[in-house]
Amino acid sequence: MARHRRNRFGFALLTAVFVLGSAMGAAGAQGRTATASAGAAADTLDPLSRALDAEDRGQLVVAASAYREVLQRALIPGGSDGDRVALALLGLERVWAEMGARDSILPVVRRVLTIRPTDPTAHSIQLRSLVALARDDEARESFAMWRRAAGNDGAPYREYARLLLAQGRAQAADSVLADAGRLLGAAGMLSGEVAQLHVALNRWQAAAVAFRESFADQPYLETAALYGLQRAPAEARDSIRTVLLANPVQLLPRRLLSALELSWGEPRRAWAAIASVQPDDSTAASWRAFGERAEVAQSWLVARDAWSAVFERRGDLEAQQRAAQAALNADDADGALVIVRRPTTNVEKNGTNGTTGVATTNRDVIRLQTLLPIEIAALGELGRPAEAQQRLDAASKQLDPQAREAMARPLVTAYLRAGDLTRAKAAVQGTDLEDDDETAGWFALYEGDLVTARKRLVRAATQRATLVDALGLLARTRTAQSPALGRAFLLLAQRDSARAAKAFVALADTLADAAPALLGLGARLSDAPTALTLWDRVIATWPTSPEAAESLLASARARRAANDIPSATARLERLLIEYPTSALLPQARRELEQLRGQVPPSESASQFPRAFR
Amino acid sequence: MRLLRLFRRLTRLLSVAVPHAVKASVVAAVVITAIARPLSAQFLLVPMDDGQRNHLKAYGVTYLALQTGQKAEWFLNYRGGAFLLPDRADLRRRAALDGVSVEPITDAGVSAARAEIAGGNMDVVVLERAPKIAIYRPVNQPPWDDAVTLALTYAGIEFSSVWDDEVLTGDLSKYDWVHLHHEDFTGQFNKLYLAYRDAPWFVQQRERDMATARKFGKADVPAAKKAVAEAIRGFVDRGGFLFAMCGATESLDLAIAAFAVDIAGPFSDGTPPAADADARMDWTKSLAFSGAHIEPSPYINALSDIDGHQVNVPARRQPLGMFTLFEFSAKLDPVAAMLVQNHRTVIPDFYGVTTSFNRAVIKPGVTVLATEEGAPWTKYLHGDYGKGSWTFLGGHDPEDAQHAIGSPPTDLSLRPNSPGYRLILNNVLFPAAKKKPRKT
Repeated sequence: MARHRRNRFGFALLTAVFVLGSAMGAAGAQGRTATASAGAAADTLDPLSRALDAEDRGQLVVAASAYREVLQRALIPGGSDGDRVALALLGLERVWAEMGARDSILPVVRRVLTIRPTDPTAHSIQLRSLVALARDDEARESFAMWRRAAGNDGAPYREYARLLLAQGRAQAADSVLADAGRLLGAAGMLSGEVAQLHVALNRWQAAAVAFRESFADQPYLETAALYGLQRAPAEARDSIRTVLLANPVQLLPRRLLSALELSWGEPRRAWAAIASVQPDDSTAASWRAFGERAEVAQSWLVARDAWSAVFERRGDLEAQQRAAQAALNADDADGALVIVRRPTTNVEKNGTNGTTGVATTNRDVIRLQTLLPIEIAALGELGRPAEAQQRLDAASKQLDPQAREAMARPLVTAYLRAGDLTRAKAAVQGTDLEDDDETAGWFALYEGDLVTARKRLVRAATQRATLVDALGLLARTRTAQSPALGRAFLLLAQRDSARAAKAFVALADTLADAAPALLGLGARLSDAPTALTLWDRVIATWPTSPEAAESLLASARARRAANDIPSATARLERLLIEYPTSALLPQARRELEQLRGQVPPSESASQFPRAFR
Repeated sequence: MRLLRLFRRLTRLLSVAVPHAVKASVVAAVVITAIARPLSAQFLLVPMDDGQRNHLKAYGVTYLALQTGQKAEWFLNYRGGAFLLPDRADLRRRAALDGVSVEPITDAGVSAARAEIAGGNMDVVVLERAPKIAIYRPVNQPPWDDAVTLALTYAGIEFSSVWDDEVLTGDLSKYDWVHLHHEDFTGQFNKLYLAYRDAPWFVQQRERDMATARKFGKADVPAAKKAVAEAIRGFVDRGGFLFAMCGATESLDLAIAAFAVDIAGPFSDGTPPAADADARMDWTKSLAFSGAHIEPSPYINALSDIDGHQVNVPARRQPLGMFTLFEFSAKLDPVAAMLVQNHRTVIPDFYGVTTSFNRAVIKPGVTVLATEEGAPWTKYLHGDYGKGSWTFLGGHDPEDAQHAIGSPPTDLSLRPNSPGYRLILNNVLFPAAKKKPRKT
């Protein structure tokens, strides 16, 4: 039977060679002769150039004709130009698909396969076209033919499975890949496709296993794995974690899990996934990349841990500084202090590389200039200004005037954090901060000199939230002196928001002209139940104040967060009806429409794939 | 003088056995009311020109007036097609909540407006009652995939959803106005079979339609959908208002004309379309088109040559242009004038399964409401049929010119002045109009 099939194949091949040879031989020979004689000018006559140009111009019929000419010249039994055959076939496939005549490629491909039975491009085009045309039986035959021609090559399985998966026909792809595993005995070769199949079938754990296996030979699948697995629903994620965290601990699966956890909004788990990988240069590079991503996402605690791990491994000053700064940003001043006080073992990147005494001194200076501001700020946050001053005094000989100036602000913050206004003022003596409007304005405010505070703070360069609050309050009162208001703001500088809130609320009785603003500020610093009471008080007592509309919106949001939709709706409606000139109207209307379901939720993109509707 | 007379009259009336304090306060209250009354308006004018902050929700406010038993007037071609509503607290409140611009207007102001209307290509149409609205859509479908559902939801206009079961059991008679969107009434699933036959959503849709066919004793989905199309045709014939967009326009007429002809591909009914389908189509019953050529190939994603743009056939796809709304005589053609009320006359075109309508296949007598200059197609059609009427608007989403399956939904709060969406909402209010004999 097999022999009979071989004979039949041989006869067909000979026939095709004869027919095509007689049909194309002359044209091919003419073409070659013409090309040789025309020299450089022949390029413009080259049918491939013409075909590509025509396709670019959208002249599909002309392009198709030219591509056919290319194919005719390149397809010579026993001596075909494989590259041009492939280019011509792919061009014809594109052009005919655009013309809505996708099936026209099929007879051409059949002819090519008669002459070049193992041509992978022709096989893949044939398969692709038949699948697209929904000629499923013929597609299966085409696949079988390619499989026979390809021997132990996994390409036919890969291509067919990929096409079926792209069409959402996961069960059919499953059969193909199962055959591949059985016949080729090398499922690993197709583990990427197997993994994609599992993703398509929502078999998340199996997909994770397949991706993990594929990393051994195909590490480039990491991005594909991330794209596929990040769509896993919350309930399936633990099974993925189990697979990727399993022993032996390897960087690639752990790095994938880390990226997945970040995309699922779990930065702590993301760091845990790669933290325990055996440290080496590749791991340190991954940690560094993770630390940078965490900084961008402002996940400061995990950024601190990642940079600390990099510092542990490499001992460099940059990692130490970034770890300490991340700790400080994460309100972990203790941690920041511990980090900056650890010895740096590698300062080469910062400009010193010698071992002489001078180089060592330079290293110390660089280290000091890099880390001391963070140390001072950390001490300030911890309410230890004396220690900060001591560190600064001790280091002053090693600091140039510019560096010393740079330390003044964190030192002032340290004193203010401790509530020591006198020393804070002393700390600015002889520095540029003496002329700084913001610093002078704050000092005036803390002392209750509202006139000076108003004058200086309005010129401040920064727009920090507390500054905006202060300016807002100062604009609402004509009072010239209010030590109580100064003390309330000093409590804020000490990070004692609970006492500051109470102080602002208490002031509402004495600073009557700014009462709604004081209550609004108090509400922002208070817990939800207290805030709701304060907002209601503003709305009821000062309904014409600018804070009334703001309080309505804030209380509507708080009630919505507590799932009290009717109350939230009532407040938004009241804002819209009673404050028609408020600048908050667009926000209120938008939120009301969301509550009523009149606008689509932000995540409501359709589940359907893309095609014009 | 008038106030003085009123004061004297009241004093005389209250002169009998009423304490002086009470007398004084009653008189004061009445006088204050009398003084204040001319200052408050009797009407609210809802401008629909560029002075309107939210054109789309203005239709919702007008609909609310009708829904609560009040009358409204539509000032055609006056300030972009303004509405005149009674000055009532509930309407003012709704307008304020929705951000709709309203202008209080007195009797004198209304008289001035009417005088201006009388002297130009303008007219007043009385809107009497809120039409009962049904949208043909699967009940569990989210509202974000159909421009009409989007528009009504955003404007706060109530509607019901009906699907094949309700249509085939005669439920349409409960409604004044029915909307169709991208349903394929030829039962060919918009020819998406080729690309999506194994996609879960497609399989689900096909199984749902096959179950409906079985339930109503139909041989296949095309037969069931043709029966639905026939029921919709009957609804219009008996006096209903039909508004269709996108693929529903073309496929409805094809299904009606092909009631006795197989035009469906083998993937939907197991047999190829009849070879002589074109010749056997019965266009006498269709609403808008006649003489169209059926596209028999299952590989070409088009139902016929009715659509001028053929967006899903890459080699035939035509680029988008702009379409222009025709100006009609408000006094002679109030219906057509109502349907094109807008603050813009030139609107960017937008694709859909059916984007436009080839002029060559439009029946004589159909009113063309909008067209693209120099193009062989039109965009917006209207016609009478039996005792009812229909309007077809090509395209899927006026604010998403290239809306594809899977595109994010259109957020109308970001497009409250959309002229394209106004066309949809004109159709919603059009059935509320008091019927006048047509003059042309």
